[in-house]
Amino acid sequence: MEVRRLRRVFQVLVLAVLVAVPLYSQNPIEWAPSRIAMGELPPPRVSRVWGDTWSFSFYGFTVTHPLAALEAMLAAKVVYLPLLAAALLPLAITLLLGRVFCSWICPAGFLLELNQRLGSFLSSRGVRLSLRVADYRYHLLGFALLLSFFFATPVVSAFDLPHVLGREIFYVLTYGAPSYGGLLLLTGVVLLEALAARRIWCRSLCPAGGFLSLLGAKRVVRISKRMERCIFCGECNIACPYGLRPVELGIDKDFNDRTCDNCGLCRDACPTGALYYAVRR
Amino acid sequence: MKLKRRSFLKGVVLIGLAGIGLGEGDAPAIRPPGAARDFLARCIRCGKCGEACPYDSIKFFDISAGAKVATPYIDPVETPCYLCLRRTSEGRDEPLSEYLLCGEACPTGALRKIRNDRDTLLALPEELKMGVSVLNRDLCLAWQYDSCGECYYNCPLRDDAMLAYPPNEVIEGAVGIRPHVNERHCVGCGMCNYVCPVNERIARATMEPGRKLTYFEERYAAMVRNVIGRAGPGVELPAVRVVKRV
Repeated sequence: MEVRRLRRVFQVLVLAVLVAVPLYSQNPIEWAPSRIAMGELPPPRVSRVWGDTWSFSFYGFTVTHPLAALEAMLAAKVVYLPLLAAALLPLAITLLLGRVFCSWICPAGFLLELNQRLGSFLSSRGVRLSLRVADYRYHLLGFALLLSFFFATPVVSAFDLPHVLGREIFYVLTYGAPSYGGLLLLTGVVLLEALAARRIWCRSLCPAGGFLSLLGAKRVVRISKRMERCIFCGECNIACPYGLRPVELGIDKDFNDRTCDNCGLCRDACPTGALYYAVRR
Repeated sequence: MKLKRRSFLKGVVLIGLAGIGLGEGDAPAIRPPGAARDFLARCIRCGKCGEACPYDSIKFFDISAGAKVATPYIDPVETPCYLCLRRTSEGRDEPLSEYLLCGEACPTGALRKIRNDRDTLLALPEELKMGVSVLNRDLCLAWQYDSCGECYYNCPLRDDAMLAYPPNEVIEGAVGIRPHVNERHCVGCGMCNYVCPVNERIARATMEPGRKLTYFEERYAAMVRNVIGRAGPGVELPAVRVVKRV
């Protein structure tokens, strides 16, 4: 089976949750806080399901993005145990499976993957600037952490793209309007990617993705190749959204797959089934 | 990963540009309950306090607020903090949950978890309070005309945070009440700020010929115009409002 199908199921589910959570915490009746508080209208619904990909709670069980936890503790210069505990599950997943958050969960990544179709459509009409940008994710991450530490406020939290998408959905469903900043950032990135550089945010700019890449550098599950099956057609190179060259796997001793997020597109693209998820001990 | 010097420098310039515009500046915001001095350092802008807030009292800053973007605030003129209470048919204020929900939702302790009972709220450490109410007696209809008392009757901590008469003060000829804020117990929820009739909206409506006021507001309109006219321009409205504690 194509990994992409399974991945889509995850991505759609996450998006559905992002819409369902604020909807569920909404009051279905006429919205008049003062009359509800005065007991003239039925009580508001108290749901205990809150959050998005940056931090999520389900009836007392909380999961928080490891970078959010790190930033907050760097900024506040304290170790807050509940926060640390909430970061453990995603931390373990990333250490084992790599940054699968980016490919399997991230709603912004999903949006930008779909956006590639707009990009191909535009470029087929000849609308395309070609912008090649190196991988600045680690620079941005380092800079953001320094800023968080010295200005004493979490920085990536302000503009982490999946989180911005999640909270804009929440703003629209709860307050009836998005925030200008978030809307500007989202449309900016979408347009930039459609017009100029395919997947530039995920491959060159996203500091959260960079952080997860670092965490997943020694991951257990990674794409590997059955040398005897490879016909060196190069389909995998074309499929890779990060511009990696899986065709060199097993040949180039220095092949660097730190950017890889185990999305499986190269595996799906391989006509001979040479690429597969390997579990390393 | 190997880095070339040029690409590194380009990166530094890029991210340097991204850093411009950060930094705290303007007046401190009224934060949800439980926000201590380290609030901005701990807040990861996850928005969960706003989702948890049963009355949508919590709003979020936009990019125009600079470094405070996506952090929560409360605007008592629009919606005050109802302290997760709801009045029952017997007329008692019952908590909707064991803890104030925003603090329960906060993953980083930027908002501390506060037990939602009257004794805890009355004994709340000063730095965890949202602010404190300040009452301007020159504008107050109860003090000027013996004809209000909305703040006192609506205060969720009535008789502790808002008193009917100032203690140790001799008042002559009082027919109605003379509301007085007890700073020791006021948590700054903004309920008084919300219900005070000497507010911007009524003041503006009294100046217009075809004014649209409810019957309830119409009762106050003439008096509001009088007290504001007497106080002169530039006066802060409403007569009782929440300010940040210093």
